[in-house]
Amino acid sequence: MYNSKIRGPLVEGNKSLGQITREVVSPIETSPGIWWSAALGLSSLATIYGIYAIYMTVYKGIGTWGVNNSVGWGWEIINFVWWIGIGHAGTAFSIFLLILRQRWRTSINRAAEAMTVFAVLCAAIMPALHMGRIWLAFYIFPYPNTRGPLWVNFNSPLFWDFTAITAYLLISVSFWYLGMLPDLATIRDKTASKVRKALYGFFSMGWTGSSRHWIRYESLSFILGGIAAVLVVSVHSIVSTDFAVGVEPGWHTTIFPPFFVVGAIFSGFAMVMTLMVLIRKVYRLTDYITDNHMDAIARILIFISLIMGTAYLSEIFVAWYSGNQYEMFTFFRNRITGDYKIQFWGMIVCNALIPQLFWFRKMRRNWIVLLLVSLLINIGMWLERYTIIVTSLTKDFLPSNWAPYTPTFIDVGVFVGTIGLFATGVLLFMRYLPMMAISELKGVAHIGSKKED
Amino acid sequence: MKMGFKIGIFDEEEKFISSIKSLQENDFNIHDVFTPYPIHEVFHLLKRKSRLPSAAYFIGLSAILATLAFLYYTAVVDWPVVYGGKPFNSFPSFIVITIVLTILAVTIGSLALFSVRSKLVPGRDNTIFDHRATDDKFVIVVDTGKLDKSTAGKAENIMNELGAVEVIDKDFENVIA
Repeated sequence: MYNSKIRGPLVEGNKSLGQITREVVSPIETSPGIWWSAALGLSSLATIYGIYAIYMTVYKGIGTWGVNNSVGWGWEIINFVWWIGIGHAGTAFSIFLLILRQRWRTSINRAAEAMTVFAVLCAAIMPALHMGRIWLAFYIFPYPNTRGPLWVNFNSPLFWDFTAITAYLLISVSFWYLGMLPDLATIRDKTASKVRKALYGFFSMGWTGSSRHWIRYESLSFILGGIAAVLVVSVHSIVSTDFAVGVEPGWHTTIFPPFFVVGAIFSGFAMVMTLMVLIRKVYRLTDYITDNHMDAIARILIFISLIMGTAYLSEIFVAWYSGNQYEMFTFFRNRITGDYKIQFWGMIVCNALIPQLFWFRKMRRNWIVLLLVSLLINIGMWLERYTIIVTSLTKDFLPSNWAPYTPTFIDVGVFVGTIGLFATGVLLFMRYLPMMAISELKGVAHIGSKKED
Repeated sequence: MKMGFKIGIFDEEEKFISSIKSLQENDFNIHDVFTPYPIHEVFHLLKRKSRLPSAAYFIGLSAILATLAFLYYTAVVDWPVVYGGKPFNSFPSFIVITIVLTILAVTIGSLALFSVRSKLVPGRDNTIFDHRATDDKFVIVVDTGKLDKSTAGKAENIMNELGAVEVIDKDFENVIA
């Protein structure tokens, strides 16, 4: 079915099964060192700033933000779209690559799924706050109520979005947890500590690794993988319709759903790369996350980057070709030139040009380049959302409605807070949960290695 | 009721598989086998099948019907509102919610069925025959409760001959699985 002789071994170092267990479990069993506490401290500080900003937002209202009557969507929606994009890492890795039978995903999918869960949590904070009166957030649930009963508007992309993101979060968590069951049992059976034995024992739900468990586990993984494959494209398509159904110049285009989906996978893969470069450096897991893995992610990034470049060009072309003066103005006078040209060109350079470095093998093998480029891609993706939202809203059809936009201290706080929350989540995950799918690694341990040849 | 088992421990997949085959040829009752990762040959040999895919299909089908019925009821029967001059039953814009909720229902539903059928719930204490099965060993558990000593000994010999690292005799008061 799958032959990886071209790609080289998926796990290097001809490891025995016991060795795989020991090496993956060791970060949980040993104390992590000073860097971990320092990082956790730093991310907790960021989270505290975020909590303060959220408190001010709820206490005083969204007047504390930089948004105004013309620019009704500011940093919070930018960040919402950005986080959801990053949240595509898990689906892209676990499901997209599962369907394509790319078994090299094995050492990466667990961490990617963890990122998805935390990124989607961060994303969900944004629209909830944006409602203004968060204590009425339950109005969005379609339940029989005393207001008519007046139902929510099922034709609105904003409601689709709510449905899609809630479902996405629940499904990602289910998929993540199911995948961890065998590994939690491994820790339960391996650990010497009584507390850990009890805790991991409780959460491993009595997994024994019997053939009856495995057959259902396999079959369930395929059901979930197959059905959730739709989510790779559906979630961000729905997010894009929030924009595309609006009549704002620069938003009202049919390119948006595929453009957003590709962008989401782009930022998801970039974030996975950032995290993997760091994990393999810090935990010395280069035998599991090999140079070949990084190479494969880098190649995917070039490909997606080319699609992004094409999408940017076709947007500009269509704006010109349409002959619509508002579209022309937005693209040529307010993006390529004008007040927001730095953000626009930053986006082009980071997303379409810099990833082309990965055409060179030397660049794909240099961890500093990998780290920098992956960070730049995510900055570029943030700038893309900034460009889309702010340029279209600041200057639309009526010049008397034009208004500038600057974020406030509170806007920045909400963003920094979510970064802190994300980092805290990832750090706790690395410390307390198996970072790689141990049982899956055992299944592919000898693929492509000398033993099999 | 006291139950007796012979537990064969293997450290290589090939030896483990050939032992299962040999034990089956000699009509021994294999209670179950335990492995660190799923092995498809085992499923064939022990004739393990899962009906989860068909269950998931029916969950999905009912979720589609239920969602469409709910949307129709709220938007057409209970409180019709005209949005942008479109018909009350604006089917195309119901599709998105239907797809998403179907996926959600299938996920949650089949996960629940999985949990019930495999008897896996948080805090459950299923019998662990040998704790190395989740690490690096392949374990065959032969039910020898109703067998006399010499027949049970034969099972032990088969496993030893085919390369078991060790064969353990163990009695359990009751087996939870």
